[in-house]
This record gives sequence, C-alpha cells and structure tokens, in this order.
Amino acid sequence: MAKDIYIGEVSANEEIQIDCFLMKVKLPGNFAEPLPGQFAMIRIAGLHDPFLSRPISIYSFSRSKSHCTLGLLYRVVGKGTQILAGLIKGSQVEISGPLGGSYAIDENKKNMVLIAGGIGVAPLSLLAQYLCQTVCHDAESMTFYLGAQTADAVVGLDHLRQYCYKIIICTDDGTLGEKSLVTAAFQKDIKKYKPAETAIYACGPKPMIRSLSTILDGKYFCQVSLEERMACGVGACVGCAVAVKDEQGRKAYKRVCADGPVFDLQKVIWE
Amino acid sequence: MRVNIAGLKMKNPVMTASGTFGYGEEYADYVDLNWLGGLVVKGLSLKPRLGNPPPRIMETSSGMLNAVGLQNIGVDAFIKEKLPFLSQYHVAVIANIYGESYSEYAQVARKLSRAQGVHALEVNISCPNVKKGGLSFGSDPKAAAEVTRRVKAETNLPVIVKLTPNVTDIAAIAQAVEEAGADAVSLINTLTGMSIDLKTGTPHLKNITGGLSGPAIKPVALRMVWQVAQKVTIPIIGIGGIMTAEDALEFMVAGAGAVQIGTANFINPCATIEIIDGIWHYLHDHKIKSIKDIVGTLRT
Repeated sequence: MAKDIYIGEVSANEEIQIDCFLMKVKLPGNFAEPLPGQFAMIRIAGLHDPFLSRPISIYSFSRSKSHCTLGLLYRVVGKGTQILAGLIKGSQVEISGPLGGSYAIDENKKNMVLIAGGIGVAPLSLLAQYLCQTVCHDAESMTFYLGAQTADAVVGLDHLRQYCYKIIICTDDGTLGEKSLVTAAFQKDIKKYKPAETAIYACGPKPMIRSLSTILDGKYFCQVSLEERMACGVGACVGCAVAVKDEQGRKAYKRVCADGPVFDLQKVIWE
Repeated sequence: MRVNIAGLKMKNPVMTASGTFGYGEEYADYVDLNWLGGLVVKGLSLKPRLGNPPPRIMETSSGMLNAVGLQNIGVDAFIKEKLPFLSQYHVAVIANIYGESYSEYAQVARKLSRAQGVHALEVNISCPNVKKGGLSFGSDPKAAAEVTRRVKAETNLPVIVKLTPNVTDIAAIAQAVEEAGADAVSLINTLTGMSIDLKTGTPHLKNITGGLSGPAIKPVALRMVWQVAQKVTIPIIGIGGIMTAEDALEFMVAGAGAVQIGTANFINPCATIEIIDGIWHYLHDHKIKSIKDIVGTLRT
C-alpha cells in the first residue's frame, strides 16, 4: 500500500483575483512529488454537504526538510469551492494525491507551446516550472499563451514570469494584452511552429480546446488537460467519463481521473 | 468476526459494493484487500458496455446521483485480465452480473462459475440506469424469480440477488427470489432521482435521471432491510449509505448478516477498513462473541 489520505494544514488561502484563490497546504514530508498535469482531491473532514471531494490541479509544489507545500489555484464556481475559499490559515483539510497521469514530455521538441484559458493556467504553470528547470535551457523555446475574459480574470502571471520568458496575454475585451481569443492569438503565430519540432500543451474551457483541435487539425503533438465532475478520483466510480478514441479508433469512455486528466487532443471525441 | 452468508465464507461482514470499488486494483494502493470480508466487483455483462454519455454524476446533499450505465469490460476480459489480480488476495470475490435477457444472465453466470477465483455471484436486477434489463427484471416478482432460477441452474456458487428500492413492495420481490432459490439477497441498490441546473434549465445528468446513493439513503435502506428481514429466511446483505461502523451495526440489528460499503469509498478510500475496525471494537467492548448475536436483534 503506497497511498494514503493526508491531513494537511492550510498555510495560506488568498484571493489573488476576483473569485480566484491560491491555497497553500502544508503536508507531511512523505507526500509524493507531483508531476505536471496531476491533481489532488481535497475535502473537509466530516463534511457531508457538499459530499464529494474536489479535484484540483496541482499548481505548485515545494519540499522542505520536514514537510511539503502544495499550491492549489482554484476559481469559486459552486458550493464546494465557496467553502474552500472560506478556510482560514490553520484549517485542516484531507488531501489525496498526487492523482492521475502527467503530460508526456519530448525533450527533442524545439518549441514548447503552452496555451491556457482562465483557470486552466494552473496545471500549465507547474508544467512551465518543470520545463524551465529540466528541459528548456533556451529561454526562447517555451511560449505561453495566456487567455482570460478580462484583465481581472488573468491569474498567476507573476508566478509564471519566474519560469517563462515569452508570455502572450489575451483578453476577450482587450483590457490586458491583445484583444483576442487565446486560440486566435496562437493561430496567428502558428507558422513559427513546425509540427515536427513542436509540442503543444493546453488547458481551458471546452470551447477553447475544441477550437484548438480545429486549428491544429491533427498535425501537431498536442496534449490537453480535461475536466469532468468526479467522485472517487482513483478510477473506481467511472463517473468522470470523457469520450475518446481507443487503440482501434473506436469510441470509448475513459476516466478523466485515472486515464487522464491529460489526453492526446487527437483522441478526444467532441460529442 | 467471521460470517457465512449462505456458503460464502468471509473473515468479517464488511464487503465493498458493486460499482464503487472497481475491480479491486483501483483501491489496492489504499487498502490491503486481504482485510476485506468480500469484494464485489463492478457489474459484468456478456459483452463490454460503453456506458452512458457524460455528465454521469452529480453531487447531492449527503449523497450523489450516478448514471454510469454499467460501463464494463465484459465478462471474458474480466476473467482474463482482472481475476488473476484479485486471486492473489485472501478475500472473497463476488462477481456482480447483469444481462439484458434471461439468457444473457445465464451465460454470464456460466462463464464465471467455470472461472477460478470467484466465490459467489451477485445478480444485479436493479440498475436504474440502463434501458434494457436491470430494473425491469427487479421490479416484477415473476421476472426476478425467473432470472434467479436461470442463474441458479448454471452455477454451484452461492447466488445473491441484489434488489432495487424502486418498487412498491421490496419484501414481495425478496420472497419471490427466495422461492426461486436465491441463497441470499442484498439491498438496496440506488434510489432513482434527478437534479436540475437552474441556470440552463437542463438536467445535471445527460441520462436525465440517475441513482441516488450515500448517507442520504441510509434510513430508507435500513427500513427496507428490516421489512425484508420479516419476510425471508435467507441471509440479507445490507447496503445503503453506510459511512461508519455504527451505520453498519444498525443494519445488522435490523437483520443484515453482512454489509456492503459503497459511496463511502469515494470520499474515504479507507472507509471499509475503518468500519471493520469499528465493528471489532464494538463487539469487543460489548463482549459480543459473534456477529450472529446481533443480527436481527431489533427490539420493537
């Protein structure tokens, strides 16, 4: 038995943008090192309404001699995240993780393109950190397209700047960066990225991922983080199903928690 | 702590409920499967099933709705790919089976009976999320009895029939399957429910309706176990919203010889182990020698 439910202590829980919080959770030292793309399940012990744990992408992670600190970036969208947002420093939470798979990284690709919409910046920030520290020795090789509806919805920019030199910001209303959809901004630059030399990673709302799928037209290596409502987080309940093509190209429902949350964009079926 | 449910010998009365514990391997990193009384695997059909389109689940107050639609790898793949893993453990493996016709139930039962490492069959006549079979067999006493007879004819393994609460009189179905030769009954499966997104005016589940589980349904389940216990002599396995050892013990007092833990696994992967531990402490503290001494002891 390798996995456990960890009791974590909230060491910070700040509203860094409107309705967007960054929670830092202090965990025991034996919490496993998360890979970019993985998530954690969080719940308040004993609480039955909301009943289920919340799956949240791992945004940052650090380790000291005695403990680890997990960073979870989340937007308040419902009852569960509302309650999380109300937790004060010192509160206890139950954490399981790191769960799910991670982005596949091909070190031979010359260009690493990361495309985030809204809160989708969370798993890609950890990826940017990972790429910066282990893969992309050339500052020019990583480009981050960061989109949001408006300037107030752009999150995690300062954090991201530590790891990424080229950040292209887009807002729907033009209040920050380009007035453009993030996918359109990427499309404008697409000729810079030769398919054979480029790896693309994306996370954001479904319409954004779908639009990216049309733009790439199956020509690029692209992995996306998907989201679904989840109950168990370990693959048992089969609740977080997403339609993808299986090895034979037939439609299958895969579990976002255990088979994902990272999927090859080419395999995702849009229903 | 040992129990014997109609020939199914288990080291304790705590089992995992079908569909909440995968094929065992999903939770093997959290729980030493050797500690479990029984492990009921995800419902198996003759052919693999795709399941329902998402969204499949929705949280409710103290529970959840699901409409997974019996997605599974099919009985042949289970025997080949999953059973060898489970056979490494000293745990009673119970295969939950589902069919769209009497003949399919019989064929799945036959295949599993020939496989090594299955200790009992649980016949699912109560899934509310599939169009054919499932609930329609479970809500008619004659059909429920016929499924039971067909499965019994194919196997020497103990046959447990899992009952639906979505009927007027669950005790009548329980009696019908008992007469047809069921060795035990397990109850309850989920209660049919729904949930609506007011922002869009659409159901939260693509399937529109789903099965409600979790602590929200415990009082209903307990009542049904008690009612069935008045009417049948075969053992009863209690299921429905059990989160703690106290919940499990309530079911036993109501008449259940064993219990299944379902939705609790989702929010606490170690729920089964904590419940086993809690029952042991209860028996020890109250100087009760055997589980049998509390089953059906409700004083009214």
